[in-house]
Amino acid sequence: MNLLATNRSFFLFIILILIFIIFAVFIPEFASIYNILNMSKYGVEIGLLAFAETLIIISGGGGIDLSVGAILSLSSMTIGVLIGRKGMNPFLASIIGLLVGGGCGAANGALVSFLRIPPLIVTLSTMYIYDALALLIAVDEWGNPMPVSNFPESFFFLGQKTYFEIPFQVIFIFIPITLLLYYLSSKTVFGRRLFAVGNNEIVAKFSGISVKKVRFSVYTMGGFLSGLAGLIMISRIASARPDLGANLNLQAITIAVLGGTDIMGGSGSIIGTILAVLVITELYNGLQLAGISTIWQMGTLGLILVGSAIANILIARKFGENR
Amino acid sequence: MKRSFFRTREFTIFVAIVVMFIFFGVFSERFLTSNNIKNIFLQMSAVGVASIGMTLIIVTGGIDVSAGSIVGIVAAIIGKLILLKFPVYLAVLFGIIGGTLLGSVNGALVSYLGIPPIIVTLGMMSFLRSIVYNILGGKWISTLPESIRWIGVGTILKIPVPVFILFLLLVYFTYFTRFRMTGRYIYAVGNNVEASIVSGVPVRKILFMVYTIGGFLYAIACLIILGRAGVIQTNTGSGFELQVIAATVLGGTSVLGGKGTVIGSFLGSLFVAVLSNGLIIMNVPALMEGLIIGGLILGSVVIDILRTRGEA
Repeated sequence: MNLLATNRSFFLFIILILIFIIFAVFIPEFASIYNILNMSKYGVEIGLLAFAETLIIISGGGGIDLSVGAILSLSSMTIGVLIGRKGMNPFLASIIGLLVGGGCGAANGALVSFLRIPPLIVTLSTMYIYDALALLIAVDEWGNPMPVSNFPESFFFLGQKTYFEIPFQVIFIFIPITLLLYYLSSKTVFGRRLFAVGNNEIVAKFSGISVKKVRFSVYTMGGFLSGLAGLIMISRIASARPDLGANLNLQAITIAVLGGTDIMGGSGSIIGTILAVLVITELYNGLQLAGISTIWQMGTLGLILVGSAIANILIARKFGENR
Repeated sequence: MKRSFFRTREFTIFVAIVVMFIFFGVFSERFLTSNNIKNIFLQMSAVGVASIGMTLIIVTGGIDVSAGSIVGIVAAIIGKLILLKFPVYLAVLFGIIGGTLLGSVNGALVSYLGIPPIIVTLGMMSFLRSIVYNILGGKWISTLPESIRWIGVGTILKIPVPVFILFLLLVYFTYFTRFRMTGRYIYAVGNNVEASIVSGVPVRKILFMVYTIGGFLYAIACLIILGRAGVIQTNTGSGFELQVIAATVLGGTSVLGGKGTVIGSFLGSLFVAVLSNGLIIMNVPALMEGLIIGGLILGSVVIDILRTRGEA
């Protein structure tokens, strides 16, 4: 029982299994291999954004990124316009889109770490800026922001192809990135520095860690991850719109926090976040199969977030943690 | 320690507003008309009212991203009750009570359970938005009675009602945060929780109170929004929280807590309203608005940081 109180990932794992069992009992098609593999692709995009938030929130100093959704929109729109209206090679366009994402993240990182503006203010402002840029580049020759959807067939493998029923983006993008980020955050010097900076900035500085560099790099990585999520999303839905990322910021933060990332920085894990992504994806899918209106997806996300925070605190109180 | 008046954020932003007035006034004769200035104040009133609550919350070191969803739910309650043929004053009363109660739920979760404010209000934001969809079922309500429109378009002593409400609240909360003990406690909590507890400040009560006041003020803001728009939609209030937070931080309230004034937030809201109005009058494409507002928020904060760098 103590494990439940102290180990967030274990707690989430139990919830994951419980929800799975409940849905599997009541909805026959839920536990089919087809459904499980199919639902996995819906977790990819929001999962990448949640990873971005996880790294950024761990880095502390009020770390948070309200602009991930806007970066997603801007990268998607860049790629869409380059391919659909300028006829650029999809591969090249995608690279540029990812660089745009990384660049947006780097701009956030520079403002946060070198100018020392609180992250909430930086990313709130850049959210407005990147959203506006996405709209501006979406403007067509008649002067209105319009979606782009004339992609060549070759562009769709990213988000629509499957191998043995497993979606391409899950095996070749999401799993490798998860492993990479896991390795980076828990097995490398950079990872140790990240947690050190988040835990205690001053101590980290005195230990010779460049707080600025660490923060700058996580915001940049966050930008790349958001751009990548955008790339996958437009390939999956075969359309680039300037508002693709609207409402995703707060969802991504919710998932990161649900995964046990401490909003004050210095603690959190990729494993926790991936479990939270799985819980949310399975929940959305199950509710949908059960014929419950998609409106309730958001509602349950909110309930689970607050509910798990309350449960955590009550369990911790009961088992006498020192808080 | 006390900064001179000319170095305060309020002064910086006030100067910025004056500069914008002159700039837009020179470029367009339609800007400096009494009608347009009245419009600017009408445009800012809802954000202005809500930003008072947001200021108190952020001063305690918290944040409230559920503001927009609370506006949505108050609108849904009022709309539903009006459809059920309730008298308007009762519908409005229940709306205000609903908003205040939801604020107090935020407050209870933050203060008595100790859950971080961003988590509580994020959760509330999504949950309440679902409830709004459920109450309204995706439909619009556009048959609002005239009496509720009065809050948005009526006048008291020749002053538009929303502006009247805003100034009333502004005066009261300025008094409250400067001269009432409870008001001073808000700053104490935001500056140093430990020290506040030791010196006998009822930290939990204060936290509970600011979120409750927040809920109440969002409900008032909702009345203004409904009165002006005359229609209730499922996405009424969506995105409102970010506008309010932007106005508040623009007005100099520190997201780290302990610093910020109600007047500053008022100026922050005014700044955004003047800017977006001026841009429209100068025929700047609406698409540019986010770009300019985002850039200016950043710019103003950078200027502020550079001006005060080196101070303790």
